[in-house]
Amino acid sequence: MTEQDKRVTDTIRSLQERAKELNCLYRIEEITNTEELALEDVFRNVIEAIPAGWQYPEVCVARIRYNSTEFVLDGFRDTEWIQKANMHALGELVGSIEVAYLNQMPKADDGPFLKEERKLLQTIAERIGSCITHRRLHDAMKELRNTAPQRGMREWSAILDLLRRTDQSLLMRVSRKMINHLCWSGVKDARELLQDFRPLPDADERDVFFDSNRPRGRALPPSATELADRVFELAAAHLSDDEVISCVHNWIKQDRASFLVNALENHHTAISEVSDAIQRYQHAGHGEVELSPSTRKGMLVSLVRRFLSDQLEYVNVAKNYVEIRDFHQLIQKLIYPARGHGKTGGKGAGLFLAYQIMRKHCHDNPLLAEIKTPKTWYLTSDGMHDFVYCNHLEDVFSQKYKEIDEVRQEYPDIVQVFKNSQFSAAIVKGLSLALDDLGDKPLIVRSSSLLEDRFGAAFSGKYKSLFLANRGTKQERLDALMDAIAEVYASTFAPDPIQYRSERNLLDFQEGMGVLIQEVVGTKIGDYFLPAFAGVAFSHNEFRWSPRIKREDGLLRLVPGLGTRAVDRLGDDFPILVSPGQPGLRANTTPEEVARYAPRFMDVINLETNKFETVDVADFLRSVGDIVPAVEQLVSILREGQLRQAMAGSIDFERDDLIVTFEGLLTRTPFVKQIHTILTLLEAEIQHPADIEFASDGKDLYLLQCRAQAPTKHAKPAPIPRDIPHARLIFSANRYVSNGTVPNITHIVYVDPEQYGRLGSRDELLAVGRAVGKLNKLLPKRQFILMGPGRWGSRGDIKLGVPVTYSDINNTALLIEIARKTGDYTPDVSFGTHFFQDLIEAEIRYLPLYPDEDEVTFNETFFTHSPNLLAELAPEFEFLSETIRVIDVPRAAEDQVLYVLMNADLDEAVAVLIDPTEQADHGDDSERTITTTDGQNWRWRARMAESIAARLDPTRFGVKALYIFGSTKNATAGAASDIDLLVHFIGNEKQRRDLEQWFEGWSLSLSEINYLRTGYRTDSLLDVHIVTDDDIAKQTSYAAKIGAVTDAARELLLGNGGVATK
Amino acid sequence: MSTKPFNAFAMAQAQFDKVAETLGLDQGTKDLLRHPMREYQFALPVRLDDGSTKVFRGFRVQHNDARGPAKGGIRFHPQETADTVRALSMWMTWKCAVAELPLGGGKGGVICEPHNLSMNEQERICRAYVRQIARDVGPLRDVPAPDVMTSGQHMLWMLDEYEQMRGGHYPGAITGKPVGMGGSLGRTQATGYGVVFTVREALKELGIRPQDTVAAVQGFGNVAQHAIELYHQIGGTVTAVACWDQEDQQPYTYRKQDGVDLVELRKITDRFGGINKQKATELGYERLPGEAWIEQEVDMLFPCALENSITADNVTKIAKRVRLIAEGANGPTTPDADHVLQERDIFVIPDFLANAGGVTCSYLEQVQSNMNYYWENDEVLGKLDVMMTSAFIGVSDMARKRKLYMRDAAYTIAIARVAQACKDRGWV
Repeated sequence: MTEQDKRVTDTIRSLQERAKELNCLYRIEEITNTEELALEDVFRNVIEAIPAGWQYPEVCVARIRYNSTEFVLDGFRDTEWIQKANMHALGELVGSIEVAYLNQMPKADDGPFLKEERKLLQTIAERIGSCITHRRLHDAMKELRNTAPQRGMREWSAILDLLRRTDQSLLMRVSRKMINHLCWSGVKDARELLQDFRPLPDADERDVFFDSNRPRGRALPPSATELADRVFELAAAHLSDDEVISCVHNWIKQDRASFLVNALENHHTAISEVSDAIQRYQHAGHGEVELSPSTRKGMLVSLVRRFLSDQLEYVNVAKNYVEIRDFHQLIQKLIYPARGHGKTGGKGAGLFLAYQIMRKHCHDNPLLAEIKTPKTWYLTSDGMHDFVYCNHLEDVFSQKYKEIDEVRQEYPDIVQVFKNSQFSAAIVKGLSLALDDLGDKPLIVRSSSLLEDRFGAAFSGKYKSLFLANRGTKQERLDALMDAIAEVYASTFAPDPIQYRSERNLLDFQEGMGVLIQEVVGTKIGDYFLPAFAGVAFSHNEFRWSPRIKREDGLLRLVPGLGTRAVDRLGDDFPILVSPGQPGLRANTTPEEVARYAPRFMDVINLETNKFETVDVADFLRSVGDIVPAVEQLVSILREGQLRQAMAGSIDFERDDLIVTFEGLLTRTPFVKQIHTILTLLEAEIQHPADIEFASDGKDLYLLQCRAQAPTKHAKPAPIPRDIPHARLIFSANRYVSNGTVPNITHIVYVDPEQYGRLGSRDELLAVGRAVGKLNKLLPKRQFILMGPGRWGSRGDIKLGVPVTYSDINNTALLIEIARKTGDYTPDVSFGTHFFQDLIEAEIRYLPLYPDEDEVTFNETFFTHSPNLLAELAPEFEFLSETIRVIDVPRAAEDQVLYVLMNADLDEAVAVLIDPTEQADHGDDSERTITTTDGQNWRWRARMAESIAARLDPTRFGVKALYIFGSTKNATAGAASDIDLLVHFIGNEKQRRDLEQWFEGWSLSLSEINYLRTGYRTDSLLDVHIVTDDDIAKQTSYAAKIGAVTDAARELLLGNGGVATK
Repeated sequence: MSTKPFNAFAMAQAQFDKVAETLGLDQGTKDLLRHPMREYQFALPVRLDDGSTKVFRGFRVQHNDARGPAKGGIRFHPQETADTVRALSMWMTWKCAVAELPLGGGKGGVICEPHNLSMNEQERICRAYVRQIARDVGPLRDVPAPDVMTSGQHMLWMLDEYEQMRGGHYPGAITGKPVGMGGSLGRTQATGYGVVFTVREALKELGIRPQDTVAAVQGFGNVAQHAIELYHQIGGTVTAVACWDQEDQQPYTYRKQDGVDLVELRKITDRFGGINKQKATELGYERLPGEAWIEQEVDMLFPCALENSITADNVTKIAKRVRLIAEGANGPTTPDADHVLQERDIFVIPDFLANAGGVTCSYLEQVQSNMNYYWENDEVLGKLDVMMTSAFIGVSDMARKRKLYMRDAAYTIAIARVAQACKDRGWV
């Protein structure tokens, strides 16, 4: 056996021993807390329970001596291997407890006994002692109750008498409380009494407040008995017997928890001490009912602030839902550095609270009772500092003040350094315990930043969360876990969060990163480990697909496998959308739509390769579908164009066309109701819309995360200005408005509803669709909006809306449907149903307009009288100029651009013309900073384009002119934009090849520089389009940009004296 | 630009008037056929999930049933109008007639937006619809089928309600049912195969052997795939296939000069007919722009994807070699482009003949349902072959005899057949 193996075996053995001891202790607790048991029976039960807690139970026996009686286990005899502990009750020695081995056993710390066993015996003795005390007091009280009334004696005086004899310091504390109580009750004599015991040179009470700088003289404390006698004499005179007895009773009880209060009130106590105090409190069998409500609340608030969060909103809610025993459970799963003071972090606190809230309500709602949370261990936020200091990495804290490109460049090295650093012994020990508890199920290591609970979901996804397959030997698993935690720690210093914090002025906030180590919910299927389904849900639905869905009906994004694909927008794959308040109304209804927008891929953990993978759902089901738990709830069968709910056992995984619809789950299980209940409950309790993550192993539903729903970057409620001058307001809306700002609109494509309705032939209607498709490709991406009648994407009856497909509109920033009244009738709008999910995933906004309703503005003149660019942009569609109007906003409105501000809270939206230079007034702080960063992006690109032009030798490469167009020219380039260049080329084949090569070099270097600046990786930054004289003559494709009517390419000055010809 | 708004029914009537003129129909026949024979409109009070009641509007139009029970879909559409339903029912009459089916034309619909309704609510609408119309439809009067935003599921609800009311089984009362629930085998292949049955007959007339021909196909969905399948079986070669790329949001044409391999292409195609472009390249297919299918050096073009894909703009790109176009899709050719094809003397198999395999199969489903005896796949497809062949010969004879363009011939023969039936019955 190697040294390492031996160490591992030893560790395991010692852990097994600890478990035995704990079990033994729990058993003793149980016995001593059973009030019905007579003391003799308690002793008998205890000696029976003891051997199991010792290393060699088969030869272990025990004896208790109490007063003169002896309680022994059969076969007890005095041997030379014996341990003894004395028992005390009410301050006096009352007996002893002994443990003996009958035979000689291998030598350990203390003869054959372990040092932990010595401690255990001591604890048992203390516990029995306090049990005896409790019984004696109890008996004394009973006796008093029986006898006192007859003898006319006061029952409480007997208690005092008892205290006088047993615990003078407690007597003292009780007496002091009684004086205070009497004073507060307005007993004048009590104040005098108080002053007697606190004689001040000037007995003017105001001095206490007004002259606190002067040290006060302090009287010698009176003896406890003397004080007590005088106080209770007074009490007897002013208070009823009942009141005195109940006060004394409560104070004595509360006093027993004072050690915990003290530990909590002192901010310097380390977690370990608080933890000990909580354990002692729990073990000592204090039911919390014994505490006065105020003491209890105070303690709970301290605990919440200590372990979870000191954010006031959080504390306010949490204090009503937690109990001291919850913290007792929490600390069992808490990993912290020696002398640590940290917290669980935002995610940890959120999940903990949500779970407590659900637990408290599960009686009124059985649906909640079935919801679980995965086993979770918490590494406190100061674990990271411990790690950093332990490895002398302090310099890393100043990383955030460096230039962002430096941060980016150094980040990979930081990750490596972190991964090669050590954790402190306390943490390693904690992690090892956690692994034993969690077993070999795959784990997720989640960052739980202190910033997260402060700023809500805005921080979500900025820090890392890592999946671990958690396979191999204990040491391998521990190494992998530490590696993952180090990586999560390192992610604090990643460029993205640093940039994000810098933009929001949060750089100086001290990093504190808690870590959640959570078992992954799921089952093993083949080589993979995955949940049957997972997802996210929100109390507020910001993307409603039907007017029947209210914002409060919520939104559920559901995927098969790990929930990662539901959290992020994917662009090329779709989660199933359900509104929990209206589960019957689906975004997709026809079988074709359902199949088109079904999830096609899923994320899983590959247990063989220890990797996180994305797999094709169809392939997965074909190979292992038959062992997926509850698969019939997840898929429907598409056959002959019809979708049928799958039935257990009736699926042919080889041949059936299976579509993930979750139809069974949604219609035949209480799942949607459960989610709706959780969301409604959490929203009501945290007084804020909630945002949860969940997963299911096919059997149970698990809550993984809970936080306040924060608007995403693109869907914040925009402030609606109230003082917009009439001339600048283009339209307003007050129905079905979602949240968001659509900024910097330079072009509007307006399909006039009235003119569209008058088009005489189907061909003309179809031509409108084609024209829109063409404009979609010509106009600057995400800087134009499409406005049109009724239902965009109408098929069949295309009179109702422009017949377009998603590809015809995919570059717009906003899709507007106009419902004009005809007679008394206002037509329906489609809510973008024909491509609803495409719009959501691409974050294209949607807004319906009802121009003929009261209290809205619709500046029709602006749309119908602004110059129309259609004929110039797309001459082949000139005949539709009455119907389609393309408006260049800055040209039509004195260089202003259009902002559409949407606010779902108010259910209002406005489109306003804004001078680009004053745009900052209409976004919040963060938006403003983002705009400036983006500004840097295009300025840098424009500069680079100019220097490329300056270095380009026109004669060498046969170049006549070089143009720039697109986002760089329009000053809208972002970090991921490319630089669009247009080359007017007049050279030969070789020159063309050389030119392409020359650009290629530039492109690669620029994309590297761009990566360092922004973190966006692109294969090449230059998008070069070469056009010839012929192209220009024919105006084919990009050549049309030269001298175009709107958004024309701008010519750049060529180098080497090659002045471009105009 | 015309000043009158677009109206589908007016357009259908105008189309009819033109053909009626050439046929020299008498005024009575014209008056009868210009309008539907029977129209039903009714209210459908339906209880919503939230307990409230909403009243929907339902329609059923039976344009003409001189040749047999009316046949046509039921649409769920938010802005359904009586005129749209009238126009569609008239087209159904011609469509059944051109395919020589013993059926008339009908259409129905409910004004509703399924996106705003739960499936339970839709079921209640379906059942309410049947309760209103049951006495006027049925296997011997009018046979509904799925249409826009209705599926086999809706048909089963309707059939169930009908049978509950009638107290017996009438599977022939509705078509578009799933196999095993009164549906017919062969439906997936029907439209695609139907296209090629007509192509085969057309080639016979043109005196060209199928094995000497090469074709380019637009689309790779159900219709296109089955058309290619049968075309390969009769010896043809497909060199180019165009399909939509979901990821790039644009179409591509995949080309293999020595012929595409259908089996290998199907393996890399998603259920929407999208070919995986990386894998296609690995298999040696050239990836060309989406429009390239139309410019290929081939003998035939099969537009089997979208409306209006042959336009005035691209019709000029069609290679000289192209002799035949079979319209597997609905309305793939714009009128301007159609003139050019006519001038160039390209043989066009018009959409409502070429893709009549679908409606023919529905008829076969009805026949089987009425017998309550269901044929094997081969038997269905065999009957389909016979019927499509006969339908083609009817149209092409007419075209030859009266020197008509195929599209006009198809309309002409359809209207003539219906007019004849009305006369035979002594209606006009």
